[in-house]
Amino acid sequence: MTWLNADEGSPPFDAALALRPELRELYAAFYGKLWDDELLPASLLELCRLRVAQLHDCASELAVRHAEAGVSDAQVAALPDWQSSELFDAQERAALQLAEKMPWQHHDLTDGEYAELQEHFGEAGVVALTIGVALFDANCRLRLVFGTEEAAVEAPAPASSQGPIY
Amino acid sequence: MSTLPRVSSAIPGEEPSFGTALAHQPGLAGAFGMLYGTFWSKGALDHRTKEVTRMRNARVTDCGY
Repeated sequence: MTWLNADEGSPPFDAALALRPELRELYAAFYGKLWDDELLPASLLELCRLRVAQLHDCASELAVRHAEAGVSDAQVAALPDWQSSELFDAQERAALQLAEKMPWQHHDLTDGEYAELQEHFGEAGVVALTIGVALFDANCRLRLVFGTEEAAVEAPAPASSQGPIY
Repeated sequence: MSTLPRVSSAIPGEEPSFGTALAHQPGLAGAFGMLYGTFWSKGALDHRTKEVTRMRNARVTDCGY
């Protein structure tokens, strides 16, 4: 249970961030841009977001699902075993390797793994993906430290520059 | 861990750095700059507290950069 006295009418995480309104607006603009600008496939971002949340055991983040991203329940269930699952393609595997290592093993990403990322996404794409995974990691850390309550929600997008942060 | 920059500079004539790497995504870089700049220039915390926590975080993550 969170110890922050936030507005109960907003999604819990958004309500906590809104205690600093200016930072909340700029954070939403930053995080929302990742999704709004379609820099990467939404399904790819959603898979990475959920895998990072699993690694953090962050129920608050896991409770949010981005229905329009096109990630199936079977894929979500298979995420802990993505290395051996047949439900993920080569591009998704390369991205999930980054998501797997960035939260707790950020020094262990090899040059070979990075080269594979570049092969699939190009340099600008890798930069966008790395920023995305860093934001997913940061979201979980914020939620866990805030003690953000779990609130299951099917969101049009986990964040948008124009809407709430779920 | 790589000992060489993996991401080239997106700004001609400048060496690879955190800022020139982010510049491969100008929209995201701009949004990050607004957030981070506002965090440092305004708010409820004094600069010393922000700097101490930044440095401690860099040590915990073993980030020599």
